[in-house]
Amino acid sequence: MSFRKRNIGLSAGVDRTAVPNTSAQPTPPESIPGIRPSPDDGRPTTSTGTPSLDGLLAGHAGLPMGKILLVEENGTTDFAGALLRYYAAEGVVQEQKIHVVGAPEQWGRSLPGLIGTAESLEEKRSDRRKDERMKIAWRYERLGEFGAGIAGSRDAPTPTGDSDAAGKQQNAFCHAFDLTKRLAHPSITNMSFIPLLPSRDSPFISIIKQLQSAIASSAPNTIHRIVIPGLLNPTIYPPSTCEPAQVLQFLHSLKALVNSHASRITTMITLPLSLFPRSSGLIRWAELISDGVIELCPFPHSADALATSGAATSQEEPPQGMLKTHKLPVLHERGGGSDQNVGQDWAFNLSRRRFEIKPFSLPPAEGDKEAQEAPASSGMPKKADLEF
Amino acid sequence: MPSQPPLPPLIAPYVSSQPESSLTLITSILGATSNWLVLRFLHPALSTSINPNVSLGLDEQQNDAKKKVVLVSFLRGWEFWRAEAKRLGLDLARLADKKQFAFVDGLSELFSAPQIANAASPSPSNSAIPPRTSLPLRGPPGPVPGRGPAPAPATALPTSVNGNATRNQTDLGISKKLRFTGRGTAALDALEKDIVAVIDQLKGSNDSSEEVLLIIDQPDFLLAATGPRSGIGATEMSEWITGLQQAAHATVMTIAADSPLIHNAPAAGNQGATPVEGEHAAFAIGSAHRARSVMQLRTLETGAARDVSGVLRISRGGGLSAGVDTLDERELLYYIQRDGGVKVFGRGES
Repeated sequence: MSFRKRNIGLSAGVDRTAVPNTSAQPTPPESIPGIRPSPDDGRPTTSTGTPSLDGLLAGHAGLPMGKILLVEENGTTDFAGALLRYYAAEGVVQEQKIHVVGAPEQWGRSLPGLIGTAESLEEKRSDRRKDERMKIAWRYERLGEFGAGIAGSRDAPTPTGDSDAAGKQQNAFCHAFDLTKRLAHPSITNMSFIPLLPSRDSPFISIIKQLQSAIASSAPNTIHRIVIPGLLNPTIYPPSTCEPAQVLQFLHSLKALVNSHASRITTMITLPLSLFPRSSGLIRWAELISDGVIELCPFPHSADALATSGAATSQEEPPQGMLKTHKLPVLHERGGGSDQNVGQDWAFNLSRRRFEIKPFSLPPAEGDKEAQEAPASSGMPKKADLEF
Repeated sequence: MPSQPPLPPLIAPYVSSQPESSLTLITSILGATSNWLVLRFLHPALSTSINPNVSLGLDEQQNDAKKKVVLVSFLRGWEFWRAEAKRLGLDLARLADKKQFAFVDGLSELFSAPQIANAASPSPSNSAIPPRTSLPLRGPPGPVPGRGPAPAPATALPTSVNGNATRNQTDLGISKKLRFTGRGTAALDALEKDIVAVIDQLKGSNDSSEEVLLIIDQPDFLLAATGPRSGIGATEMSEWITGLQQAAHATVMTIAADSPLIHNAPAAGNQGATPVEGEHAAFAIGSAHRARSVMQLRTLETGAARDVSGVLRISRGGGLSAGVDTLDERELLYYIQRDGGVKVFGRGES
């Protein structure tokens, strides 16, 4: 079965699914930057600005256009905010139109600085590691590199190869950003900020109106990103907005808006779970409306010890929390939780230059080192004897 | 692997015939959505070709006597249903033209009025987005820019009205866009009138002996997004559904049955339960009591598996008239393949 699957490759969608699929034809390089067809079924996708998050999204290697991604976070940390900043920064670099809801312009000034394409960063990293890498068969070499399953091995065709570095920079699907730097890009002024205006009835109504008119009045080939940091966060949103009638109607209208321009808009929303637990009906409805739901569970600070040992090798940074995928775009809309990424335990790690999501694995029990080493020295053949 | 028949044989008897004035309830949860099952209700009612894989003698007469379907969807748009039905070989746009199918859109304009559409804006695919623009089946694109999704009639339209054409094209097949205005039962009555008008329109086009199957996708969202404060509670919703049921031959309804929505009801003594949960639980349980059958979708308790998407449990509802009507209760596993095909099998089989 796996043999068959691999052979089907990218063009399989044509006869079976009747979805217009152009993977057989060369993708015109002058197509919209930052959009590429999904390796899974050819629908257009765009990057979230975080390569490993792109890889997690049910084999589409990006966020499909016309979808809403909800990122929930437990505790008082702001990892979700970092994800959101990468997402916004990626949009700025791709010269898409960013609409930020409810955050001041200050938020837009704190976007992380561009340091190159995601690929270039990946290459640098693997260069650094190359010396210590064990010799393994070449076909396994890329596996596990991405922590991304399908996306790692079946990356969508990006214009690589003979194109020069400048062209690469231009057409890259995903970029790398540095959280300690500030983004300086000509199109950063293209961001629009939609404040929450105090009003007698729902402030969401005016937000939807502004989004609608902004999108309706833009050129038909503009790509939009709607960014909603900290939905329902009481420092931004008045208490009345937490009423289901207001927030659910807003999310429904947002979904309608995104759906009616399905090839031009993506949306990412973050939500503080400590204030609005997942066990409440309101949040469950918000999840049901969204196309993708991801939950971040940062480790408490006291778990640092565990976290340090959680790294498989000393080379890797320790994980800072767990990540759960509750719903993935497209896949769950069709009804199935059969993706290989579903049900996996994921850990995430935020460093200066990357937000990395990788499979979580518990380290070997800490106090057991001697027990592990003892039999190795006595009964078992030495490692050197086994090598050839 | 062999391609799956559009309608898995094991669920065929359950989805292909509904007795008159019956209610079938489909419950779904976050990780196990019901869209695929709704499509399996559409297929036997609408498909014309008798698939040798499907006809096991059970549903042959159903295939001959074609039914009509009205689909009311509150959480998913026309594009989604059209694209997914196409995977099953159903061209909903064409069926809508032939007055066999009608789609009532409860997503686009339910709570927010649309902008006055200017010609340029609503064309979603005028731009050069690769998978849509170059349609491989239609010869070289030539000077005409690629335009919109598949339905063919628009090819004849001149390019000058391109924007409008695309607009019409995407709206083609949508019979009615619901709009929620006002409050309380008056607002629900208005919605009911709209939907019943669509059903009657479908009925009236031919002799009225034909059966109309009404599928309401997630009406519980309407309840959650309005709530008792706007004068809509579980009782009002149930009455609304009953009113709609009267207009159709049989009704299929999907609702969410996530545990926060069902088990948090204030009656259970839970702290912090809100009207959303209370009303939803009342509505869901009330509907299950009225339904002829309940098809329950959920994920595996033991965690995700690679070859199982979830569990489908079919049980009798409270509305099944004992002695007259029978229904085999079953619990099945299902697996949604990447291409949209569905495998349904018993536990331990594959």
